[in-house]
Amino acid sequence: MSDTRPLVLVVEDSDAIRTAFTILLEESGYAVAAAPTGADAVRLAGERIPDLVLLDLGLPDISGLDVARRIKGDPATRGIPVVALTGRDDESDRQALLAAGCSDFWLKPVDTQALIRSLPGYIAKTP
Amino acid sequence: MTDLRLTIHGGHEVEARIREVLAREGFRIVEPPRDEAGSGPTLVVEPHHAHGHPHLPREYARRIEELERTVLELRNLDVAKSQFLTNVSHELRTPLTAIVTYGEILRDGMLGEITPRQREAIESMIGSCRQLLSMIEEILTYARTNAQAISIQPSDFDVDDVVRTVHDMNASLIERKSLSFDLEMAPGLPRAHADRDKVAHVLGNLIGNAIDFTPDGGRVHVVARRSGADPRWIEVVVEDTGIGIDPVHHELIFQEFAQVDASRARIHHGTGLGLAIARQFVRLHGGRIWVESELGGGSRFYFTLPSVEVNGSSHAESAAA
Repeated sequence: MSDTRPLVLVVEDSDAIRTAFTILLEESGYAVAAAPTGADAVRLAGERIPDLVLLDLGLPDISGLDVARRIKGDPATRGIPVVALTGRDDESDRQALLAAGCSDFWLKPVDTQALIRSLPGYIAKTP
Repeated sequence: MTDLRLTIHGGHEVEARIREVLAREGFRIVEPPRDEAGSGPTLVVEPHHAHGHPHLPREYARRIEELERTVLELRNLDVAKSQFLTNVSHELRTPLTAIVTYGEILRDGMLGEITPRQREAIESMIGSCRQLLSMIEEILTYARTNAQAISIQPSDFDVDDVVRTVHDMNASLIERKSLSFDLEMAPGLPRAHADRDKVAHVLGNLIGNAIDFTPDGGRVHVVARRSGADPRWIEVVVEDTGIGIDPVHHELIFQEFAQVDASRARIHHGTGLGLAIARQFVRLHGGRIWVESELGGGSRFYFTLPSVEVNGSSHAESAAA
């Protein structure tokens, strides 16, 4: 029973938000892997090679920015698009995120309909 | 060298502290042009004895050194404060983000068909959450820049309307704790002439605290009547049968970031900004806020608001107080 749905790795330390995103993505036709910490995120990215990583920046162990750098720094996971979800909106964060290899970033709470509409674009963009 | 220029970053508190130090150190402040939008004022200062003081160069160097040290310390404190506010902002946004996201999942029928009325209710929930988020932004901005940044937009409204709205927002919690909640309006009470959102915020805070600090089965009683000090003003009382507050803390609880003790903070969560903001909002209207309470004896929080009879003379109450 192989799953043909695109796999999204949700990295988020808040249980409530992680579950909400899992429901949102599954109901929108995606398979979901979930990571509550940065370490889990890096490990799962390597093991599952998801089609997309949705990355919260405020993680308890490694900063979201470092998670993005590690995913982008490993040849095995380099091609996975990473989209950051952030509570902060200053310009330096945006620059740092783009420099770390993130495709885009969304300010929380995101408009879920708009996010779901954008996902195919992120996945298609990466070869 | 006849003067010294200091550009102050870090807002009014830092500026006030620097002015204090300058005065103590014998500098005279030549009032500056308030220029360079956003960069903070530049103070031009000179020593009192600029002419003919024998030890001037040495004295001058010592004082400037001290001054620079103080400025640095204040800047560090300001950084720490901003960091705290950023952290609080994150803590507040996380649960709200979850609520908004679940709301949208429900609204979009992902967990089953919904009726138009259910959709309406959910839309309203999402809207309220987003409103709360923007209020958090406002509060944080306010806390960073002090009261000057916030203005009031008065309109005429009935106080009981606002109390009912606040009650409805807390209805499930009131029910869960089996609290009795009642509102007593004095007959013939005039409408308020105030910023409705700010009054709702103050009432939300006081009633929220009353619910929070009152054990199950207790009572929350809200009274709106004419002020005894000036009958053109409205006095609102929020009374509870909760744990009460030791009189030694009655002033402290209105200060920013204050929590009466750590255990209370742990049980009841909170930023410690609620009553400080309530006080600022009340003061912006020219009103007063205070508390009467004893440990174990419940609490009565009072605040005053201008009614439509005040005609914009917001000093009557402060003068009477």
